[in-house]
Amino acid sequence: MIAFYTLLRKEVKRFLKVMMQTIVTPFMSSFLYLLVFGVSLGSKVDNLHQVPYLAFLIPGLMMMSLMNNAFQNSSSSIAVSKFSGDLEDLRVAPLTPHHLLLSMGLGAVVRGAVVAIITYIVGIIFYYLQFQEILTVKHPLILIYFILAGGFLFGLLGVCAGFWARSIEHIAAFSNFILLPLLYLGGVFVSIESLPEWAQKFSQLNPVLYLINGLRFGVLSVSDVSLENSLLVSLLGILIMYLLGLLAIKKASFNRW
Amino acid sequence: MTHKSELAALEIENLTKCYGTFEAVKKVSFNIFPGEVFALLGPNGAGKTSIISIISTLEKLTSGSVKIFGVDIEKETMQSKRLIGVVHQEIVNSGFFDVTEILDFMSGYYGIYKNSERINYILHKLGLYEHRQKKVKQLSGGMKRRLMVAKALVHSPKLLLLDEPTAGVDIQLREDLWNFVRELQSEGMSVLLTTHYLQEAQELCQRIGILDKGQLKLVGQTKEIIKQFSLRKILIKTKTEESHYEANAFFEKKDQGYYSYFLPDNNYLGKLLQELSLKAEDILDIQTQEGSLEMAFKKAIEMKS
Ligand SMILES: Nc1ncnc2c1ncn2[C@@H]1O[C@H](COP(=O)(O)OP(=O)(O)OP(=O)(O)O)[C@@H](O)[C@H]1O
Ligand SMILES: [Mg+2]
Repeated sequence: MIAFYTLLRKEVKRFLKVMMQTIVTPFMSSFLYLLVFGVSLGSKVDNLHQVPYLAFLIPGLMMMSLMNNAFQNSSSSIAVSKFSGDLEDLRVAPLTPHHLLLSMGLGAVVRGAVVAIITYIVGIIFYYLQFQEILTVKHPLILIYFILAGGFLFGLLGVCAGFWARSIEHIAAFSNFILLPLLYLGGVFVSIESLPEWAQKFSQLNPVLYLINGLRFGVLSVSDVSLENSLLVSLLGILIMYLLGLLAIKKASFNRW
Repeated sequence: MTHKSELAALEIENLTKCYGTFEAVKKVSFNIFPGEVFALLGPNGAGKTSIISIISTLEKLTSGSVKIFGVDIEKETMQSKRLIGVVHQEIVNSGFFDVTEILDFMSGYYGIYKNSERINYILHKLGLYEHRQKKVKQLSGGMKRRLMVAKALVHSPKLLLLDEPTAGVDIQLREDLWNFVRELQSEGMSVLLTTHYLQEAQELCQRIGILDKGQLKLVGQTKEIIKQFSLRKILIKTKTEESHYEANAFFEKKDQGYYSYFLPDNNYLGKLLQELSLKAEDILDIQTQEGSLEMAFKKAIEMKS
């Protein structure tokens, strides 16, 4: 228990020490997305699911920054530790793979949640300026669930990537060529209903779609997919990533680069 | 001195380690007794680090077994990890945290929550207390090495593994560090270390093992090994100086009236005197000097196995 708590504390302290990179940068990018897409472009776009485009975009961006930052947190924590050699400490100390997965996953949740909440706050400010109305959360518990689940899932993904990577480029490649497309095609910016039919079929295979829409349902009570499916995919995703994480810690190397 | 009845601090049996097809450690077996300081010596690439990495579970063993106070490192990994502290050969450079934070985290990993008393004690002992608020980057090489030693000690392990802890450390600090090791030993800690400073190993370690190309060539009491494998030096001062004293096969040099000879073993002195046709009354003085570990080391490495 103490070991788990210590490792969690270390993960959180680490990202707080590089706040510029871990909190301010994501804040800037959310701010710009909301300004350019939500406010400027949004005024020329039809309502999606009977909500203004800006409102539609806010939960999408929340989930996107949540996933990105959760992934970055655990993967770069491991990458940096591999670089300096102190990942070996985690191997030598009596920490089980469960300790590592739970605390690194939760550390990622904390950073992801902070960034998601910042995005939400920036979002409601823009929304208020435009519509003189506060964008309230329709289903807070569902929102909280998807913040936890999305952060944890992508934190675990980051752990896997971190352990398996043989260089920092591996992680960058994974994040650019796999993660980014999944996020962009997962319905952050548009409802999949506006896509051609074949592209809709394709999108339905993208697990990220279910997570983004789950969180969107929590905030707006609208979604491209059913809530049951979102819940199912998130739970299944966590299960699979957890198992992959166990495998990664067992097989992959703690040695320095 | 046999400790058969006691549980060994470390028991290595037929340990083999392969990297791909390369056999870095070949069927190595030895024990370390509780409270003992044991040195694993050998040239570069002998396999010392491989053995230490296996004990600390950084590397997986290929075959054989390792037990720490009877606890098998493969079967009861978590339990065995608690018993050991390890200082790896390569310097660690972590960037985000300062010395105190690092030691605090390290304690936490071992399930110790508030450990500042022990941490401060170690920091003082290792001369790091003034540097406790520095980041690792701001420490000198020798300080980093000492930080690694500190990290290995936060949880008061029963067996300490030191892989070249004195590489890159100046003479004064080296002495301090070895004195600290002696102190830890007096508190009951068992120590396995590697070093290339043979003179220091000779002074510090009760037993040593000599490893070469993955094979354990010798293991035993330091004194015994020196006695057995190094040449003893005999210095003789004679009444008269004769040219045939220098013609002997074991002759080394003549210095300040003393003739010196290297003798292969203890039973050779009589034979030497005979060869030199020296009688008791011809001799003014005889001195003997024990050989060094360095000499024994070289001989052991040359030995065919
Ligand atoms: N990860 C690895 N992959 C392949 N070969 C390795 C690996 N680690 C060590 N070796 C090889 O195993 C042999 C033993 O290496 P090891 O590091 O154990 O030697 P050592 O006795 O510690 O040497 P030194 O005194 O230089 O530290 C060497 O030939 C080395 O090249
Ligand atoms: Mg070595």
